[in-house]
Amino acid sequence: MSHEGLAEGIVAHHFSSLERQNEAMRLGMWLFLATEILLFAGLFCGYAVYRFQFPLAFAECSRHLDLTAGTVNTIVLITSSFTVALSIHFARTDQRRAAVVCLALTILFALGFLGIKAIEYTAHFHERALPGKYYAFEEVKIPGAAMFYTLYFLMTGLHGLHVVVGMSVLTWLLWRTNQGRYSSRYYTGLELGGLYWHLVDLVWIFLYPLLYLI
Amino acid sequence: MRLSEADSHALAGAPVAPTYLEDGTTVMSWINTRDHKRVGVMFLVSVILFFFLGGLFALLIRLKLLQPGPFFIDALGYNRLFTLHGVVMIFLFLIPSIPSAFGNFVLPLMLGARDVAFPRLNLFSYYLYLAGAALAILAMILGGADTGWTFYTPYSSTTPTQVFPVLIGVFILGFSSILTGLNFIVTVHTLRAPGLSWMRLPLFVWAIYATSIIQVLATPVIGITVLIVAVERVGGFGLFDPARGGDPVLFQHMFWFYSHPAVYIMVLPGMGVISETVAAFSRKNPFGYKAIAMSSLGIAFVGFFTWGHHMFVAGQSTFNAGAFGILSMFVGVFTAIKVFNWVGTMYRGAISFKTPFAYICGFLYFIVFGGMTGVALATTSLDIHWHDTYFVVAHFHFIMVGASVMAFLAALHYWFPKMFGRMYPEGWGLVAASLIILGFNATFIPQFLLGNFGMPRRYYQYPEHFQALNVASTAGATLLGFGFLIILIYLLIALKYGQRSETNPWGSKGFEWLTASPPPTHNFDEIPTITQMPHDYRTHEPPGVIRVA
Amino acid sequence: MGESGPSGRASGALHPDDGHAEHGHSAIPYVVVWIALLIFTALTYLTGKEHLGAWALFIALAIACVKSALVALIFMHLKDSSGMTRLVFGTSLVFVAVLLFFTVGDVATRFRPATPAGAPFGTERAQPEGLLEHELPE
Repeated sequence: MSHEGLAEGIVAHHFSSLERQNEAMRLGMWLFLATEILLFAGLFCGYAVYRFQFPLAFAECSRHLDLTAGTVNTIVLITSSFTVALSIHFARTDQRRAAVVCLALTILFALGFLGIKAIEYTAHFHERALPGKYYAFEEVKIPGAAMFYTLYFLMTGLHGLHVVVGMSVLTWLLWRTNQGRYSSRYYTGLELGGLYWHLVDLVWIFLYPLLYLI
Repeated sequence: MRLSEADSHALAGAPVAPTYLEDGTTVMSWINTRDHKRVGVMFLVSVILFFFLGGLFALLIRLKLLQPGPFFIDALGYNRLFTLHGVVMIFLFLIPSIPSAFGNFVLPLMLGARDVAFPRLNLFSYYLYLAGAALAILAMILGGADTGWTFYTPYSSTTPTQVFPVLIGVFILGFSSILTGLNFIVTVHTLRAPGLSWMRLPLFVWAIYATSIIQVLATPVIGITVLIVAVERVGGFGLFDPARGGDPVLFQHMFWFYSHPAVYIMVLPGMGVISETVAAFSRKNPFGYKAIAMSSLGIAFVGFFTWGHHMFVAGQSTFNAGAFGILSMFVGVFTAIKVFNWVGTMYRGAISFKTPFAYICGFLYFIVFGGMTGVALATTSLDIHWHDTYFVVAHFHFIMVGASVMAFLAALHYWFPKMFGRMYPEGWGLVAASLIILGFNATFIPQFLLGNFGMPRRYYQYPEHFQALNVASTAGATLLGFGFLIILIYLLIALKYGQRSETNPWGSKGFEWLTASPPPTHNFDEIPTITQMPHDYRTHEPPGVIRVA
Repeated sequence: MGESGPSGRASGALHPDDGHAEHGHSAIPYVVVWIALLIFTALTYLTGKEHLGAWALFIALAIACVKSALVALIFMHLKDSSGMTRLVFGTSLVFVAVLLFFTVGDVATRFRPATPAGAPFGTERAQPEGLLEHELPE
């Protein structure tokens, strides 16, 4: 399958070679990921401070989270990372259809993650385990409990927002992969989308034990 | 040798490529530009506009402070004024000024590149800047926040004034800053011309590179911090509400984790400008190129370890106070290294006392005294007395106005011919510089005294016996304002009627002077191969050649 | 290094940028890492449920770090990336550590007498009955 017609659009005029441009794109994406890490770091900082000050409240509240849902979600995200890595593998080995299938699976897993989180949030809403001034959870009434749930909602909320953004990016990449834009000759765009998705997974790898397994 | 189109046309007697200013004259060609030079010019116009807006707020503040009691605005109005002055000056002027205006224009030229790594992202970061600015202006029109630019909780999460749009505006502006920094880092890594190794990078590039590192690493933290406060205001839940176990000091930790490195975002590019101009106007190689280059990285790195010196009396532990106090001492060392090297460059140089050089002199004086008062403030025991007084205000204005703004003006005059192909009137340049340096001293030296005598900052009213110094400060501020106005006027006139400049009116060895002034859109007809150290005034040859194939 | 000229594109633009035949690229490492991640997740779950007290946090974080390292190095190709991208990632982690160190360090080292009595913050820790330490009946 030849993509000579697309060759014109690949290297921008100010880059001396495709390799240089790829290098630039990767470095740019990693720098952006670094900013995302520091964005979440602010919330992890709040978590660390308040868990230190309210260890029992945090432990107690953690036990009231749905551990099964959290564990399933962890498995879902890890697998979605696997499928997106596979899709890049298939793209760079010129197996376009397999790449498309793997991307579609990734997006499905992302939807699954969001669905499970929605169920969890609904449950919290019903039991009034809500953030800040709305906290009215009957089962845990000690100082610091409201803070746990505030952090829970802020952290999973920001993470969920990133899942949505990641899903949108992957959907766009799915469309482009289907058009044949990514192949052994050039797959950097797909790679960058994959990197963003892996970051979403990385954040959750830490959120899971810190929220569900105190 | 393969000739470029422009060169072959020129040889055939045909017209040369248009400059970047002439290449497309419609509004759309500017709105949709990919050209880093045009993005730089748009940033330049915007930051200057906001500088005058912030300056207007400053003059209104100083007007009120002529009287110790209530005068022409009420206390709430006064609080809004100093909040907006801070927000506009810091986020809309100082943070973007030198990097986004001059960095954008000059960085690719200095690297021998045709553009930054991500031109469309560059344009996007300009529009983000405008969006953030629009939100801040909206907030202002709706009455404005009264929290101070530092938004300390729990006041900022509970005050009824318009804090929310300002917080979101700051978040968006932060994003703009991050994208610019990201772009510059990748540009320096991947778009250097042949022969341009790391140790041949111009000192301005080192400074911008170090600044970009800070922008990328620090800005996200203030992003999340203002977001949390915004959520607390709108959603009623956040991390800093004491009633729910929240710690207001945690806000300060997260805020200053960015805002202290932010002051290095504001001053490092200025230092880069000084490095460039001091070599050019002394016609001498930088005294210690490696020392200056490495100290930029040093400031960027060590600056992250010092934020607690803003919180000595906030309630953090004494362990923290001690640790931050000691760490804050280290960061001054790098500035000292630079000052010694700049002075060493000037020593026995062939000084050309043009307007940029006048600003260099101002810069050196202000950074030494501003820096030393900074070290004094970082001494915990002294800060107990000076914290939240005018001593602090005077210290940071010495750096942010005295140093950063002087450097901005030096850059503006040094690169004016490069950007617009015209010369500014040298006589007026020196007059304005003198007014500014004089006016600045008259404004802020009284404030050091006021602070030492105990006048708190951000207070609407003050005791009668402080009035004389306040009046002196206001008089100085008026003079300062006149100086800036004069510059604005003669530069606008010079844009249209100024004498056309030659390609390299300063005889500078900077790599950006290898191409025409103003440059064509594609920067260089042929990418030069760099053959010399930067700022090398020992030889008469140009620093780069067009290699014959 | 690179060619110049207004178009800027070198003739090598169409070659795969890895330098080796792309079709030989294997997916096996991805499968292995995926299975490893699932095993480590199970480990996190099992050790977490035990509530091992003081060690719990350390173990959980250690396992999370191993999982992240696997994702970063293999899935995100950090193993094969340039030194600069690795430096970028590493540096961001260093500064996260700096932020956490000084903020947690602050609350961990405040003197109790310096915080107002009954304040929900400071070095006092809340007890299960909802009372602060000094409110507990003797």
